[in-house]
Amino acid sequence: MTGGETDAPASMEKQFEDFRVKLDEAGSLRERIRAVVNEIESITRLMHASLLHVHQSRPLSEVLEKPKAQVDGLKELYGRLAEVLCECPGEYYRFHNDWRSETQTVVSLLAFMHWLETGKLLMHTEAEEKLGMNQAEFALDIEDYLIGLCFLSNEMPRYVVNQVLAGNYDCPRKVLRFLTDLHAAFRMLNLRNDFLRKKFDSLKYDLKRVEEVYYDMKIRHLANGDSAEDNGTQGQS
Amino acid sequence: MASKSKTHRLHQLSGTALQSIAKRPRTITTESYMKDAFANYAGYLNELNEKRERVVKASRDITINSKKVIFQVHRISRDNKEEVLKKAEADLVAVKDQYISRLVKELQGTDFWKLRRAYSPGVQEYVEAATFCKFCRTGTLLDLEELNAGLLPLSDPAIEPLQINVLDYLLGLADLTGELMRLAIGRISDGELDFAEKICRFSRDIYRELTLVVPLMDNNSDMKTKMDTMLQSVLKIENACLSVHVRGSEYTLLGSSDPSFLMGVPDMQS
Repeated sequence: MTGGETDAPASMEKQFEDFRVKLDEAGSLRERIRAVVNEIESITRLMHASLLHVHQSRPLSEVLEKPKAQVDGLKELYGRLAEVLCECPGEYYRFHNDWRSETQTVVSLLAFMHWLETGKLLMHTEAEEKLGMNQAEFALDIEDYLIGLCFLSNEMPRYVVNQVLAGNYDCPRKVLRFLTDLHAAFRMLNLRNDFLRKKFDSLKYDLKRVEEVYYDMKIRHLANGDSAEDNGTQGQS
Repeated sequence: MASKSKTHRLHQLSGTALQSIAKRPRTITTESYMKDAFANYAGYLNELNEKRERVVKASRDITINSKKVIFQVHRISRDNKEEVLKKAEADLVAVKDQYISRLVKELQGTDFWKLRRAYSPGVQEYVEAATFCKFCRTGTLLDLEELNAGLLPLSDPAIEPLQINVLDYLLGLADLTGELMRLAIGRISDGELDFAEKICRFSRDIYRELTLVVPLMDNNSDMKTKMDTMLQSVLKIENACLSVHVRGSEYTLLGSSDPSFLMGVPDMQS
């Protein structure tokens, strides 16, 4: 047992030492990323809380005031994220999972705000611009964007219910049209059996729920000024 | 290149879609901005998923053929070492030229990390086969740098070359000890005790080095499981070597395939 018991050959030691250094560096990068992501999470929580006022029928401008102000803060944080990633070019997807779900939430909040203001769907490029994520090395992943849109749709049924409770009888029709369009757009995608697919399925249920609310109101003639428009919606010929 | 023509086709598509939309009720036109955008997203996802499919297929082929190399190396014995290794090494080069080259074609830039889960199994198996061959040839560990240098010629010098990353290398190395264990047991029953002891020391070194590195690896739950298996393999090798050591002289009676040793007729080996 004596002869062979020297240390591992120097070359093996050296290689593993190099590995330790490299992996250590990646580890500290990851810690810095997590620190920025925690801050992103704080802001999104605040934004979300502010936006929840929309369910209590506060005036729109009031509801949107705080969240809009916080978008700049978000942009700054994503900028810091981009800086950290600059130190490891090409490794965006190595660390992607560390900010994935937070980003999806951010997209859903931005899209909700955009829809409340304009009635339209926030585009991928628009979202990128708001967050400063339109650089070559640091872009908004399309699947994250799409999942964010599904989270947006998840908010809609509750929004519609509360708007009707507050006396806004025009809301269901508007939301229904929006979600119908969104659903039709999503149907153009060929999805695998992954998380995005699951979220797309949930979109269907949101649409169905809003349809139910709208239908309930229609048959009781509660929907305002809808007769002419409605014939348009229903006329598929 | 490919992506350019695809988006070009998409713009043509949405052009014709817009024309047919003009004939339909007004409500559909309000969503055309959505449909245009989603046509692009659909194109992106199709391309991504198709690429992923091709990468997975290439990875499977790499796995199957790397395993064949490993089986080939296991046929090694004192008498046929050169012949077995020559074939294994040639087969390994074929894996590189025929199958890894397909990975090289598909993967660029962000793909290396984005699609890693699709090709990692194949690459790990390749690492296992390559390090196994090298150990049997020289008794040393094939290091990542050397392994990657061998992959450089596959890539066009103008583009980013496919290089195995540290994580896949370490995962492949973890699997290597399993094969080393099988090899050690096989060599012992053929009476090649020195070889078995060499394998023993080598496995110990790898295991020890890995224990320091594993905690630092990204998403290392896979690796932690492999470390448990690895320790079992190392223990098996050590215990097998112990048996040989303790029973010393009895093992020198073992010939290459001479059943008569039981009759006490020694077939002396060198």
